[in-house]
Formats: sequence, C-alpha cells, structure tokens
Amino acid sequence: MNKKTIGLAALALVAGTAVQAADLPSNILYDANSEKKTLWPQPVVNSGVLKYNEHRQDLSRWPTLSYEDKRPTRKAETVELKGDLNGDAKRGKEIAMNTQRGNCWACHVLPGDPQGGTGGPTLVGFKHRGYPDSYVYQTIWDRRAINPGAIMPPYGTNGVLPEQDIRDLVAFLQSLD
Amino acid sequence: MRKPIILASLALAAIAGGAAAAEKPYRDMIPYIDYSNPAASGDAKHTNTYQYWKDRDKLDPARVTSGQLNWTTNWKFMDAPYNDTLHGGYVAQDRGEELFKRLNATGAFAACLGARNNDLKGLRLQYPQFREDMNRVVGMEAMIEQCAEKQGMKLENGSYDNSAVSIYIGAFSNGMPIKIDVSKGPLKESFEHGKELFHTRVGWTNFACATCHVNLVGKSLRGQTPTTHFGDASHWPTYRTKDELQSLHVRFTECNRNAGTQPLKIGSQEYTDIEVFLTALTNGYPVSLPSARD
Repeated sequence: MNKKTIGLAALALVAGTAVQAADLPSNILYDANSEKKTLWPQPVVNSGVLKYNEHRQDLSRWPTLSYEDKRPTRKAETVELKGDLNGDAKRGKEIAMNTQRGNCWACHVLPGDPQGGTGGPTLVGFKHRGYPDSYVYQTIWDRRAINPGAIMPPYGTNGVLPEQDIRDLVAFLQSLD
Repeated sequence: MRKPIILASLALAAIAGGAAAAEKPYRDMIPYIDYSNPAASGDAKHTNTYQYWKDRDKLDPARVTSGQLNWTTNWKFMDAPYNDTLHGGYVAQDRGEELFKRLNATGAFAACLGARNNDLKGLRLQYPQFREDMNRVVGMEAMIEQCAEKQGMKLENGSYDNSAVSIYIGAFSNGMPIKIDVSKGPLKESFEHGKELFHTRVGWTNFACATCHVNLVGKSLRGQTPTTHFGDASHWPTYRTKDELQSLHVRFTECNRNAGTQPLKIGSQEYTDIEVFLTALTNGYPVSLPSARD
C-alpha cells in the first residue's frame, strides 16, 4: 500500500512537471493569479526591491525568448476572403489608430496623425493604389504568405485580431483618399 | 506494488529522453548582419552612424538637436562627462556611493565583485564574466545582488539601489574602452546564444530585437526611433528621461513589452546572453557613466 502510494505520487509528479514544461517557461515574469498574468518590473527610487506591475495584456500566449519555450511559432497562413467584405471603415479606423489594438500607426502614416511611423509605407491615399480587398485582407492576416521575410505582424495567424476586425481594417484602408 | 514504480520510472525516462532529443521549436529569424569582429566600430557597416558618435567631444550640436537626425548620435550627447547637467543618473550615483560605503566597510563587498585592494578602476570592464563557482556567465548587476546578500543587504537585480551601486562602481572605469573577449570559452558560447536570441522572432508581433534595431533602425515608430545596437552597452544602467533608472535587463523587459513579447525574469540566462552580445558589440567604446537617454 505504502509503496503503491509512493509510486502513484511519483507518477503524478512526473505528469505535473510535464504539463508545466509543455505549457509555460518557468523564467517569465508571470503571475497566474493576477488578472492580466504578464508582469513588468518597476525600479522604485531608493529601494532595493522591484515593484511588479501587471502589463495591459497577457503576453504569455505567444512564444517567448525563453530557452524553455518549446511552443513553435505559427507558420504563414494563406487565407481566402469569403463573401462580401462587409467591413465598417469607421470601426477599422478605431482599430488602426489605437496603440492597444491594431497599432497600425506605429509603423504607418495615417491621415490626421502627426506622429505617424515610417517603418512601413504611408497609407495616405491607399484607395488609389488599386489593391484588391483579398490582397489587403491577406496582408493583414499574414503578410509572410506574400513575402516570406515580411516583418509586419501576422494579425490573423497569431490570433491578434478576429476576422471581422481585419475586414473593418480593409474597409478603412480602401477608404483612404 | 512494483508496477506503479516501474511505470513512473519509465515515464521519467521517456520525459528525460524526450527533453534531450527535443528539437528547437520553429522560429522565424531576422538574417544576421556582419558580427565577425564584434566591436562598436562594426556599426560603420550597419547604420554607418558610428562616424557621428565615435568622438564624443566632437558631437555635432545640429545633429543632437534635430528631431530627424538625433538618433544618429546614439544618445552619446547625454553621457558623462559631456553632459554634466544634474539628471537622475547623478542622483543615483550619489545613492550608489552611500550604499557602497555601507556594504564595503570591511572591503569584502568589493573583493566579492572581483576588485583587488579595493580598487574599483577597471572593474566594470571585467563584466559580463564567467563565474566558475556559479558555473554561469553573469552581468555586474547580478553579482552586485549576490555580493550584497553576503553583507546582509537586499539589492534585487534591476532595483534602483542595485543600479545605483552599478553606476557608482562603473564610473570608476569612465573613459576606459570595453573589451570583452568572446572568441573562446563560455563567453563565446554566451555571445553566440545572445546573437541568435537577438534575431529570433517571438511574441504576437513576431518581432525580434533585430526587427527594430536592424530592419527598422532609424525609422520613426510613433515618436521613438530605434538606434544602432552597436556601441550601446557602455552607458548602462542609465537614467531614462521618463524618470526611471533602468539596468539593461530592465530595459529588455520594456523592449519586449513594446514589441508584444512576454518579458523574462531579470538576470535570466537569456537576457545575460543578449547582454554579452551587446557588450561585445561595444568593444572599443569607453565606459560613460552616469548617462541619460529618452
């Protein structure tokens, strides 16, 4: 009885370790009991300890730089835009010009933004460039499917924005004069 | 009776074998640029801004004050001794002196860090280093935490007080060029790992450090312009003008968050390897503390 219990306990321990190893690395700044999970360290003047704050979103869902992280990066997805675009340009603008959502303006110039980024091409006058909706949709979903070395975030493949948000963004871009 | 134990052993063996055989998970990479002879001057073949910041006393004021060209000075205009306006880095240096004197009453703290006869000059150049007793490569701030603990003081790696002590000690090496040897042994291994991590794409953005510092260097990212990763490591910890004293590892956690990547623990092997990589890319450039940057 005793031996059996020990044996079972050993099994449980092994299983527990395996689950953790397959799940999240042990050396990330993370608190499973906090609301947002992801933590960031804040130095406090004249203090020998860091203050840990919650980040605005849980970033542990995606691969990290940890050597323990065995989760693969998702490869490029080719997608087809099905049916009518059915996008809301006004909603798309709210997603594009919001640092905590699409954050498109970090890298692109958008009309009315004095701080626009220059990491990617300007999006001013986009409607005159004649790109089909399906091509714009694929680019936002995962640009790597068009250009394997592309650095634009794969919003669809990585589950950052849902399909409707991407449809709204396409509608917004195709409205830019 | 025996069966569960055998099963448990089998399971353990399978996991151990699996871990050993486990391949690296798939990652997209940013292609390497030339790191064959790591040194600050290597930037000449990258952003070619080295010419504007290598001679700090000849920094062009027009470049420094230009919103478009400021990034090409690599923030060297806010380094000591060229910037002696009283910023938070100097306040931290004073705090560091006070803490150091308390910690080093017997000389054991400085000796623990590797100083000979309490001489702090040149100590900064010995880091990052491989510690045989710990069997790992460590940065100066990691050792400050270790050695302070032996004196009964908690100086968590990345905390204000830890960075303050690091700035105080580091400033004794002001003007002395960084020169770590990453051509052999554990530092070479750490350098190679750091180089790989720097170019590894992760997070929801699928960005690497190199996405911003190789591909997008000099581009405007909503008010921030990424600078070259060459010649940077010799002025950390630094005072960020948003009023925060940051060690290099604390900065990495902010870089990670800005790029949509889950940050790692301060002092982790991964961050230490990136620190070694960046320090080697600063070889030949002098220690310059205290410093400030946006």
